[in-house]
Amino acid sequence: MARIQADITIKNPQGLHARPAAMFVQAASKYNSNVTIQKGDERVNGKSIMGILTLGIEKNSRIVLEADGDDADEVMAELTALLTKESIE
Amino acid sequence: MKIMDFLVPKAVSTDLASSNKKEVIEELLGLLIDAGAVEKKHKNTVLEVLLAREALGSTAIGQGIAIPHGKCDCVKKLVGCLGVSKSGIDFDSLDGEPAYIFFLLVAPADSAGPHLKALAKISRLLKDKYIRESLKSVRDEKAMLQIIQQEDGRLSKI
Repeated sequence: MARIQADITIKNPQGLHARPAAMFVQAASKYNSNVTIQKGDERVNGKSIMGILTLGIEKNSRIVLEADGDDADEVMAELTALLTKESIE
Repeated sequence: MKIMDFLVPKAVSTDLASSNKKEVIEELLGLLIDAGAVEKKHKNTVLEVLLAREALGSTAIGQGIAIPHGKCDCVKKLVGCLGVSKSGIDFDSLDGEPAYIFFLLVAPADSAGPHLKALAKISRLLKDKYIRESLKSVRDEKAMLQIIQQEDGRLSKI
């Protein structure tokens, strides 16, 4: 079991709106690890579109992404790549 | 931003009649048109935009909720309507559940900021199971708006 955290700055100009949030959840849900996103004092389940949308994550928002589980390395690599892309539709 | 800043009060329905995705999007858009928030002559354009967005990936966000949305410069600011389907409608949700509660949003092209805030407000409202159940079983449109107004007051304090 491993628990990994990363500080990430969102690059997508439109922020994490419905489509990227859905893509994020689809990617996160392929893995066993628990995934959370924290922005400010709030932390949500990274496998819930509604949870992610409540945070209203805009361009240049800073978040903490955390994965906890046997495949934490893999899930972090994929999700970090997704969040730091400049254009996710 | 409050939900009542973009929710058009006359564009709410407690009992949507549609039984599939395309129909319900058209019915919801009809609420905005009947309320005068979207001009009737733009109906087909907006409908195409909304359906094209669904084709990219469903706007269902789980827990029986869908937020169909699209951009069109035929509106000057973000406008939205709210509808409930008593029987639920298959909306290709990632969690496989039918959708019961629908917020449909139409925004001008350059409104990424307000759009993101509206999504956040709607999600905050509906993450509360009690609110979801209240909206699904509400008796009329007036009571539905009362729930939203009451929660707007509560959410603005967070």
